[in-house]
Amino acid sequence: MIMDTWKYHPSPDIGTPVSERLRRFPRERGMLAYAIRSVAALMLRAWMRIYHRLRIEGRENLPARGSCVLVCNHTSHLDTLCLLSSVPLRSIHRCFPAAAADYFFSSLPRSAVSAVLINALPFDRKAKGAESLALCSALLKDEGNILILFPEGTRTTSGAMGRFRSGIGRLAAGRDIDILPCHLEGGMRAWPKGRLFPRPRNLRLRIGQAQNYRHLEPGQESVNAVCADLEERVAELGGGAA
Amino acid sequence: MSVELAINSPVFLRYLLIVGGLLAFAGIALGSLHLAGKDVASPMRTYRGWLIMIPIVLGVLFLGREATIIGVTLLAAIGFREFARATGLYEDWWMSGIVYAAILALGVVSMVPDPRLGSPGWYGFFMAAPVFVIAFILLVPVVRNNASGELQKVALAILGFIYFGWMFMHLGLLANTGNAYGYLLFLVFAVEINDVAAYTFGRIFGKRKLRERISPNKTLAGSVGAIGVSMALPWLLWFSFPHFNPALLVLTGLIVGVGGQLGDLVISYIKRDIGIKDMGATIQGHGGILDRVDSMIFVAPIFFHMVRWFGGTG
Repeated sequence: MIMDTWKYHPSPDIGTPVSERLRRFPRERGMLAYAIRSVAALMLRAWMRIYHRLRIEGRENLPARGSCVLVCNHTSHLDTLCLLSSVPLRSIHRCFPAAAADYFFSSLPRSAVSAVLINALPFDRKAKGAESLALCSALLKDEGNILILFPEGTRTTSGAMGRFRSGIGRLAAGRDIDILPCHLEGGMRAWPKGRLFPRPRNLRLRIGQAQNYRHLEPGQESVNAVCADLEERVAELGGGAA
Repeated sequence: MSVELAINSPVFLRYLLIVGGLLAFAGIALGSLHLAGKDVASPMRTYRGWLIMIPIVLGVLFLGREATIIGVTLLAAIGFREFARATGLYEDWWMSGIVYAAILALGVVSMVPDPRLGSPGWYGFFMAAPVFVIAFILLVPVVRNNASGELQKVALAILGFIYFGWMFMHLGLLANTGNAYGYLLFLVFAVEINDVAAYTFGRIFGKRKLRERISPNKTLAGSVGAIGVSMALPWLLWFSFPHFNPALLVLTGLIVGVGGQLGDLVISYIKRDIGIKDMGATIQGHGGILDRVDSMIFVAPIFFHMVRWFGGTG
């Protein structure tokens, strides 16, 4: 009797050490990571509601299906956590905050938290910016993925919103991608850069209407236009000029 | 087993001294080879792996019965995870989820007392567990109403549970015996020495391959040498089980010598059929957890039943 050989599908990251596996993107779906992340998301939501009295406005703007990008001002680590709490719980494993690889994936414990709890996409903001952007656009081609971006590139120390960097423009200009401007208020007071723990201050997250820039011609001009437009919209949601 | 018993256990103390002495000796040997200008980078990585693993194993045994059973359960779960990741079974969350749950259940069953006899560890349920687990695994395709490709998944899940879960976890049952320190410390020590002996004899005398289409690095000389060493170990370490008669010592040596190498060969052909080199990269210089505990998988259940039938639980 001749039996056909079985087809095995070893995990593509087999033989790589854990530290490297966590930095890989896209990551392999793991049952353990999903379980931990689901529990963490529930606890995070409870903490946000109770400790920070988080209010979310404009949740209905999140698309029911299809992918989108959430673009937000960046005042503290709470921004990411608030945005993660604003998406439906079943999307939590398909919601990827872009996180600076040089900070959030710099050590094994940090990588573990970023990859397992936050589900972060390691974004190289220095050397390989174009590669990281390509990762982002590949992600957005699939249905139902949510990308969280902070176009300022770093947390503000003054409280004023910084200029949007060109990455979001290059991602969106001339492409059919829904971008939702968001604004978080109170993050600066609750958890300023340099403090170890957040303080119990109220937070308010506003999610704006989806923008789409597919009508623009790709090019530097459009990139700048997208950045300027989104910057204005985020500032508007915050109730003031940039 | 408990912390208090471990402190007062002469067997535990002796193994502590033996292992500590061997580690110090190996460290000095590697150090002097390094000073003599030899390249010892690869054995040094392996040695550093040992320096991390040995204190963990001894520490867990020191903490007592519960810690040992939890540790064995964790090892079985990690071992199955590596197997699932290597074969692709990990993509099927229902199948692998049932096996994880079953491994956890075996851990609980090894821990709780027998409801009728009151003795620690529910031996009867442990032995009957495969019946229920295999039934659950076989029912998954029925529930899914799917046939295509299910036979391979069912087969892999059953093998994964029986081999990496159930057989390996007999080690935890040994923690329930009266002579737990002697049995467990001897088995872990002897199985690892058996591995090292096979490697060393193979390097020095090895010419003829043992099973060249499964594992090209294993040689007949290494295998014979390792069985020789393993046959001698129970006599040298008789203090671990002073109630054993010479026949049992011979049997113990055979179980460790033959069973250990069989376990190694089984993992080798599993890896070779899949087409991977190591089961993982968890332990520096050793590969995955399975690459380290593979030799224990045959030894633990057969030794356990030998003790149960002939040796008394001490």
